Amino acid sequence: MIAIAAIPLLYLIKRGSEIDRASLTNLLFRDRTIEIYTTTILLASIVLLFSFIVGSTFAWLIYNVTLPFGSLPIILSVLPLAIPSYVLTYAWISIYPGFKGFWAAVLVLTLSTSPYVTLVAVASLRRIDFTQVEAGRSLGLSQLAVLRRVIWPQMRVSLSAGLLLVFLYVLSDFGAVSLLGVNTFTRNIYTMYRATFDRNGAAVISLALILLAIFIIALEFRLRGRRTVIKSNAGIVKTHVKIKVGWLRWPLLTLIFTYALLALGVPFWVLTTRFIQNTENIDITSLISATFSTVIASFAGAILAMALALPLGILLARRSGFIPKLAESSILLTHALPGVVIGLALVALSSKFPWIYQTLPVLAFAYALLFLAKAVGSIRASLQRIAPILNDVSETLGITGFAAFRRVTLPLAAPGILIGFLLVLLTAMKELPATLMLRPTGFETLATEIWAATSISKFNEAAPYALVLIIIAAIPTFILTRPDKSDSQAQSEGLIQ
Amino acid sequence: MRRIKAAIVISLLLLTVTACGIGGSDSQSLTVYSGRSEEFIGPFLADFEAESGIKLNIRYGDSAELAAQILEEGENSPADIFISQDAGALGAVAQDGLFKKLPDELLSLVPASFKASSGQWVGLTGRARVFAYDPRAVTTLPTSIDDLTEPSWSSKFGIAPTNASFQAFVTALRIIRGDEAAKNWLTKIVANNPKLFEKNSQIVEAIDAGQIQLGLVNHYYTWEVSKALGREINAVNGFFGPGDAGNLINVSGAGVFNTSKNQSLAHKLIEYLLTEKTQKRFVSETHEYSVLPNVITPSGQPTLKEIGAPIVNLDSLKDLKQTQELLIKVGLL
Repeated sequence: MIAIAAIPLLYLIKRGSEIDRASLTNLLFRDRTIEIYTTTILLASIVLLFSFIVGSTFAWLIYNVTLPFGSLPIILSVLPLAIPSYVLTYAWISIYPGFKGFWAAVLVLTLSTSPYVTLVAVASLRRIDFTQVEAGRSLGLSQLAVLRRVIWPQMRVSLSAGLLLVFLYVLSDFGAVSLLGVNTFTRNIYTMYRATFDRNGAAVISLALILLAIFIIALEFRLRGRRTVIKSNAGIVKTHVKIKVGWLRWPLLTLIFTYALLALGVPFWVLTTRFIQNTENIDITSLISATFSTVIASFAGAILAMALALPLGILLARRSGFIPKLAESSILLTHALPGVVIGLALVALSSKFPWIYQTLPVLAFAYALLFLAKAVGSIRASLQRIAPILNDVSETLGITGFAAFRRVTLPLAAPGILIGFLLVLLTAMKELPATLMLRPTGFETLATEIWAATSISKFNEAAPYALVLIIIAAIPTFILTRPDKSDSQAQSEGLIQ
Repeated sequence: MRRIKAAIVISLLLLTVTACGIGGSDSQSLTVYSGRSEEFIGPFLADFEAESGIKLNIRYGDSAELAAQILEEGENSPADIFISQDAGALGAVAQDGLFKKLPDELLSLVPASFKASSGQWVGLTGRARVFAYDPRAVTTLPTSIDDLTEPSWSSKFGIAPTNASFQAFVTALRIIRGDEAAKNWLTKIVANNPKLFEKNSQIVEAIDAGQIQLGLVNHYYTWEVSKALGREINAVNGFFGPGDAGNLINVSGAGVFNTSKNQSLAHKLIEYLLTEKTQKRFVSETHEYSVLPNVITPSGQPTLKEIGAPIVNLDSLKDLKQTQELLIKVGLL
């Protein structure tokens, strides 16, 4: 499994080692590289901070306050997950042509990443053991002290992992930064491929990006600390009482509505108006076939991801130590890499096997590799809550090996599998760079069709494809927001990684 | 669980069905990697299929990304032919020895300035570098790219430094004036505060929107943007003085892979694209220049002779590495 996750890394090392020493130092120690490092770290950190503020505030409101309109607030604050960052950026540029630069990128990326934090935070709030909160209160702790000493430790693990996801997302995002002209690592890697066909130089820059990602992942591992949070009694369901805030709920709701207006309203408005302006030119056949292709490819990718993730998720849930940690970090690293790098690594590998190159299975494999971390995270999370003793018990009852896996582990992991599946499905639908390289020739997805009309003036041609993409990506997103139907812990953990 | 299983079974079925559908190919077919967008070449390729009975499997992508992919595939490339937006990407593939020399009948159709001297690729259409400008705001037109370094142009013009077409122009500038002079020009341009864009079309859009007055682009973008917006736009093309590096003529072109088992079919496709009929159609539909001598020019545009393009060997445009280092040095990349 580690070997699979290491494919892109090995590729980069091979390519990077082909460069001569002089150009290597020239590349790594030029002022530009330092500037790119600074821009990337600043951008990722500021987006991280903002999406932490937005996400945790919304989660707190959704969980603790009686807001009107039932589950609408949570749906509105999570639904932006369905909108690819390049579509969101196009929409913003087309209503505000001067929209450009660092702070524009901060805005767009905060809008697109805060749903991850919101989902994680809501899920971990739901899991909080309120018998401990009450115990804390009865022992005389103040509200604040309860927050700090009881609630925070219980949320820390999943929140910090959620923020790691946001950071890695910003590192690997291409759509927003390229359109807004912000020079991050990912944009620089693309520029190198585009301008010089210089695969070796781009590989060196990618390796520098990986170093940054390793540092951040190590930091997160430390921050996460050891998982010592123990539930006093999972059996007791304590009904959580929400705060009634009276008229104040309207201004609070306005916060969420404003967010939804910026993250959903803007793209939806732009796309629908463009769509209406252009109804006679819509190519229905290609729209339908692109939709079909998107669904098939992302389904296949999600299924393969789950198949690869299951053994690894089980390993990570059961064991701790060097090997599992190595596995986890190598999976996380693929997450920080721009899609073009993963795409080229798989081109280099799979083009040696002409019978499989540029077929649907390889594309599905690319998706699985790109989004494996999401799949592993959710499976591990749902297994972690299961006492290992269950397996021992089944063994004493004479059920061993595959039978035990099928009858004990698999059913227990099912919710995590479902959530991981939905997450990979959702992200694979939006994926572009690897799709462009590895799709079967002539196989156009919604994302590639949107790409084909990538200038603002042609945006009305892209509008129908973008609308359909958002609508079908909204389906898995919508299922994710329904707490009663899904396993909230697995959900939070799955998102994270 | 049951639902998950059902989902798995259904998707595996669908997977097999589509995989078969896509995998099936007959003997009379060609795999085309096209860096020219579907809009610019799709209709031409469709007509070729109809006329010749040869089926085309077309893979659209960005020229440079496709070139990177082709270099990565090497001898294993499933493609028969590569159609590229610019000469640079063709040159990079030719440099790795992946193209086979084209037959002389094809090469002889096109003048020397529009093909590789090695005969490994041939130009299909010509595209002129121009400045697009806002005719209401600009009264005195620049006659040389040096005019744009004057304070009067400060903050009023746009360039797209990450774009292949701009980099081809800078490469030409290096070849014409030498590295030091090219660096000088770039430094002065940067000091004159240009607005930076990702694409040529964005520059034309910005001129139309009144954000800038002038921008360095390829000549056909004024049509493209106007067509996409469905209205007349407030931007027209202008040319620098004869011989100025800003008037570079670049080409889109095609090469056939060594590894292709369908050489003669691939040559048929190139031949079709170079017929006078198809070339005229390029001129009227995509507003590019024909690479054949004596075919009409795009409406309202000067002929290639009148433009007075600088004399640059298009083979040398693949030398982007130093250009890029230069652009990095002056802070444009």
